[in-house]
Amino acid sequence: MPTAEGQLTNSDRRNMKVVMDRLVPPVDDLPGAGSMGLLDEVERMAEEHDRYRVSLVRFLDALSMDMSVEAEGGFLALEGEQQDEALKEIESSIAKEFANVLEVVYLAYYSRPEVHRRIGWRSGPLQPLGFTLPPFDESILDTVRKREPFWRQAPD
Amino acid sequence: MVTSHDRVDFIVIGSGASGAAATWKLAQGGFKVLCLEQGPWVDHSTHPTNKANWEELSRTKWHYHPNVRKGPSDYYVNDDDSDVKVLMYNALGGSTIHWTGHVPRFHPSDFRVKTLDGVADDWPISYWDLEKFYDENDELMGCSGIHGDPANPDRSPRQMAPVPLGHDGERVARAFDRLGWHWWPSDSHINSEPYRGRPACNNCGPLGYGCSLKAKAMTDVTYLPEAMEHGAEVRANATVYNIATGADGRVTGVNYYDADGGEHWQPANAVIVGCNGIGTPRMLLHAASDSHPTGLANSSGLVGKNLMFHVYAGATGIFPKGEPTYRGPLANIIMSQEFYETDLSRGFVRGYTFQMGRGMGPASTAVGGVSWGSNHHREFDERFGNVNGLGVIGEDLPLESNRVTLDPEIRDRWGIPAPRVHYKLDENSKRMLAHGVKQARTALLEAGAVRVFENQHNVNAGWHLMGTARMGDNPKRSVVDGYGQAHDADNLFIVDGSVFVTGAGVNPTPTIQAIALRTADYIIRERTDLKS
Repeated sequence: MPTAEGQLTNSDRRNMKVVMDRLVPPVDDLPGAGSMGLLDEVERMAEEHDRYRVSLVRFLDALSMDMSVEAEGGFLALEGEQQDEALKEIESSIAKEFANVLEVVYLAYYSRPEVHRRIGWRSGPLQPLGFTLPPFDESILDTVRKREPFWRQAPD
Repeated sequence: MVTSHDRVDFIVIGSGASGAAATWKLAQGGFKVLCLEQGPWVDHSTHPTNKANWEELSRTKWHYHPNVRKGPSDYYVNDDDSDVKVLMYNALGGSTIHWTGHVPRFHPSDFRVKTLDGVADDWPISYWDLEKFYDENDELMGCSGIHGDPANPDRSPRQMAPVPLGHDGERVARAFDRLGWHWWPSDSHINSEPYRGRPACNNCGPLGYGCSLKAKAMTDVTYLPEAMEHGAEVRANATVYNIATGADGRVTGVNYYDADGGEHWQPANAVIVGCNGIGTPRMLLHAASDSHPTGLANSSGLVGKNLMFHVYAGATGIFPKGEPTYRGPLANIIMSQEFYETDLSRGFVRGYTFQMGRGMGPASTAVGGVSWGSNHHREFDERFGNVNGLGVIGEDLPLESNRVTLDPEIRDRWGIPAPRVHYKLDENSKRMLAHGVKQARTALLEAGAVRVFENQHNVNAGWHLMGTARMGDNPKRSVVDGYGQAHDADNLFIVDGSVFVTGAGVNPTPTIQAIALRTADYIIRERTDLKS
């Protein structure tokens, strides 16, 4: 459970790393989001933005108090599918906070160059390169142009 | 200590779509104009698209919602009691910093809904009264598009060719053709070629989060520089906290705070308010005085009432892998007005526009509904670069119960009460959106989507803020007249979306700007008494 000041404890960090691996699991040659070492990035965003910080603290509170993880060893001792069940419980009980935690994990994961390589996305700012599209081709209007004006007349 | 300034002819409060247009027009007309803006000049190089972490920024410091963004010039909006969340931007350029530059015009029928359909009220002006001001606005902002749309009265040639449709836009356009449904390339205030010193768009995508290239027309790069060339003064970081009135009820000037909390008194011959459909009623209600006890210009009791958004819903189609759909402006592709005009057999009155949308960046795609866990990567790979949406933008009829009031408890850092928004979606809107979602599904499947997801109501869609200081000929049923002049004070004008009588089923900004230009044109011609 985070401290009163909202700081994550070492136990929180261990839990969160595993949680992140369950949220975004390994794929191809990439590890899950937790094993990728993205917790620092998640903590940074939580520190900078109230919405994420408050949600992360509530999420970790809920995780530590969830009945299903009270067994010895807590969340870490559960099998993978049991961990997913515990997370689903929390998702249904604090949906908004869970969504914010998921958002910040997704933001961290999908900012990684190795992830971009896998999905075919160009890393870095969108500008100044942008993207190239062929110019507008007026022939696409051939069919719709055959339609008579059908806007509704109105008294002036 | 209060710093007093020299008198000006006009103070324009707000520098967004309407305020900037009015400032430019009046300055050009020889008036001494001062535009006061609560926000700062925005350095365009700081816009998210110039940053590697643009997706994080779009969900935090550049979020559409001021309560999430929490910028230094943002004020809290209490929309807890609203079915739609309020979105706006506060800076030089106002919400044109955030908009997508989509500029369809109202239809002639939109101004006569009472006469034609027996609902709401007619406007005191017509489409034809605004037509030349729509054209003037397009000239200043720069419009990419093409005339000849059969769903609308023909209009003058656009300044630039349409923004490229992309293979995905053409795919959906052909589907509309096969269904026999109308579609047309969106009119956009985005440069498809260099225009008035600004470059062409390079299709980077998420133009709703600023435009570092300045290819999108924001009023801080269009109207305001030209207004300043004509002699207008623009004062940033000036938060107006009172519009002062004399014993005769006429406006005498405004009080404002500068960025350091210094108090200023700015006298003027007249004041124009352009603070959007939330900020304007907030300002007027807060400016209650002995001569305006229920709020400035509020003898009708209608300031803050009849709040309209546009009601939004939509469907998203997943298409087989092909050219990525995240290339090109997010939502300035094509639109359809097949279901725009009233047909009561559909189960609702009035209608809606379809607006096509594109895919987004990787994090936004994931956040936009990809599940976590064992199916995550399969779902992500299926969607990323392969989705297109059809948004339903529906007409939201005015109801007095949908309104803006002053929050009794929450105040901004200057002590000004926050606006409190009370808004419920009505039954007509619900039926309209359900119809639109069903038709959107049909169109996306026709276009080749292998799967379609429906969104029956988009809560986070309060971009368009209208109706809270409506215009009309009857002072008991309206706040301003057809020229935006307050019935209760002949030297107070309102030019933003507050003056809308009805909201139509299209984005409102070009209509807001046309109204602002028309008001300024009226002042130049008829109100020379307000010139020193």
